[in-house]
Amino acid sequence: MKIEVKNLVHEYIPGQRALDGVNLTIEGTEPLAIIGQNGAGKTTLVKHFDAILRPTSGTVVINGRDLSELTCAQWAAQVGYVFQNPDNQLFLETVRKEFEFGPRQVGMDEARIEKRLKHVAELVGLADKLDVNPADLSPAEKKFCAIGSVVMMDCDVVIFDEPTCGQDLEGNARLERIIAALRDAGKLCITISHDVKFVTRCFPRAVVMCQGKVLVQGPVEEVFSQVDLLKQSFVVPPPICRVALGAGMSQAVFSVDDLVERVRKERNNCE
Amino acid sequence: MSEAALRVEDFSFRYRDTKRYAVRHLSFEVPQGGFLCVVGPNGSGKSTLCNALVGLIPHHFTGKLHGTVSVFGSDVSKKTIADLSTDIGFVFQNPFNQLSYTANTVAEELAYGLCNRGVPRDEMVVRVEAIAHTLRLDGLLERNPLELSGGQVQRVALGSTLILNPKILVLDECTTQLDPLGSEEIFDIVRALNEDGMTVVMVDHDMERVARCADTVLALRDGNQVALGTPREVFGMAGLEEQGVDIPDFVRVTRALSASGLADGDIELTEGPTIERVREAMGR
Repeated sequence: MKIEVKNLVHEYIPGQRALDGVNLTIEGTEPLAIIGQNGAGKTTLVKHFDAILRPTSGTVVINGRDLSELTCAQWAAQVGYVFQNPDNQLFLETVRKEFEFGPRQVGMDEARIEKRLKHVAELVGLADKLDVNPADLSPAEKKFCAIGSVVMMDCDVVIFDEPTCGQDLEGNARLERIIAALRDAGKLCITISHDVKFVTRCFPRAVVMCQGKVLVQGPVEEVFSQVDLLKQSFVVPPPICRVALGAGMSQAVFSVDDLVERVRKERNNCE
Repeated sequence: MSEAALRVEDFSFRYRDTKRYAVRHLSFEVPQGGFLCVVGPNGSGKSTLCNALVGLIPHHFTGKLHGTVSVFGSDVSKKTIADLSTDIGFVFQNPFNQLSYTANTVAEELAYGLCNRGVPRDEMVVRVEAIAHTLRLDGLLERNPLELSGGQVQRVALGSTLILNPKILVLDECTTQLDPLGSEEIFDIVRALNEDGMTVVMVDHDMERVARCADTVLALRDGNQVALGTPREVFGMAGLEEQGVDIPDFVRVTRALSASGLADGDIELTEGPTIERVREAMGR
C-alpha cells in the first residue's frame, strides 16, 4: 500500500486554502493517526483519499494510480470512509441492511456478504441488533453501525473520522480491537482523532497537521517528544507523556507500565 | 447553612414504555456554588439525571418516578419548566437539539430566551454582544446557526443558556465536538462562572479535567450511584475501573509507583504533583 500526496492544495472558497501544499507519503499498513486542531485540514485531506474531494491543485496517487483516473464510486471499493457524524451516513431501516448495502454496491457475492456480516457484526458489537433501526441505536452504537457498514466492504484502506467522540472506556476498547483486526487483515487504517490518549494506545505512527500543512510526522514516540513543535499546532501530549517529559525523561512514554519501568531504570542509574 | 441548590432524594426513574429503570435510588446534594461532576460509562444514567435536574423529567419525558428532585428547596415536578428555567440552565449533549430553529442568525438565536422573557431590545443587544464576546462568537453573529461547525454550534448553545444568567448550570458533555483547546476555553469560562458563585453540574468523560474542576464527583453505573465524594475520595476507591468508570491517568501513575515500591504516599489527581512524585522516585 502506498499513498503519495504531492503539493496538495484544496480551496472550498476560491482564495482560501483549507489545504496549503500537503506533501506526505504513507507506505505499508501500520495504523496511522492524523491529529491537529479543528480547521487544520485533517478531514479535507482524507476526503482526497477516496475522491469525495478533488484537488484544487497537486496530486494524490494511490498504489501508482492517480486519483483522477477513477470516480468516487470506483474508489469506494478500495478506500472506505466513515463519516464523523453517523447521521450523515446511515439511511436504511435496519442495521443488517446498512451492513449489506456497501458490499452489494461493489458487487460482492451474497455468500461472502453473509459470512462477513456475521464477523463484522460481532467485531463492532451489534450482533444482537441486526434487525434494529439505526435511528433507535444509542449515539455510540450508531457510530459502530457506521464503522461496521464500511468495514463490511473489505477495502484496502479504511478511514475513521473522529471515532472516539462520545465513546466510553468500553467503546474505546472496542475501537482498539477493530483497529487491531484491520491491521491483522493487512488493511491500512487511517484515523483522525483529537483523543491523544487513544492515539498513543492504538497507533504506532502519526501525522500532525496545522493550518493546512503537515507539521510533523513519524513514530508516535518521536512525534510527542517534540513538545515545542507540537505547541504550534496546539496538540497537547497525553497525561502520562506530559508527566514523563515534565520529570525530565528524554523520550515520550505512553503507558503506566512503561513509565514505571523507566523510573526504575533512572533510579538504578542514580544509585 | 444556606439551602442546597439541588437536592436529589432516593430518586428513581423509568422512561415510559421501557422495562428497566434508567436511574435507581440516587441521593445527593449540591450546595450553592458547588461544582459536581457526573461520570460513568455510556448508558449509566448521566443524561437521565440531567433531564431530571432541569425538570425535563417529568414535564417532557414521562414515565415511572420515585423520590424527589428539588431546586432551591422546591420540587421540580411541582414547578413549570418555564419557572425552572429562571434558576437553571441546561446545555444539551447534542447542540442541534438546543437550537430554536426559528432564528435566522446567531444573534437571534442568542437573544431567543431574552425575547421570550420580554427583555427590552436595547438591553438585549448589549447582552447578546457581551455573551458573543465571552464565547468568541463576535464574527459569527450574522451567520445562520445551521451553517456553523459542530464546535461553533456548541458555543452558541452554551451562549444561549448563559445569556439568561442561570443560578445553576447543567452541562451534559457539551464539548464533544470541540478540539482540546476549544474545550479548555469553554471550561475556563465555566470555572470562572463557578468562582463567581454559579452552581455547576457537569457530565464529562475527561477524567483529568474532572479531577481538576470538581469539588464533588458522582459515579454512576447501570443507573446506580456507585461513588459520591471529593475527587480524591472517589478516584482513590479500589475497583472503580472494573465497574467501567474511568479514572485520571495521574491516579494510575501514582498508584503504580506506590504498588511497585518506588514511591510512598497517597494518589495524586493533577499533573504538577504527579511530576514531583515521579522526580522523587527517580532520585532527582
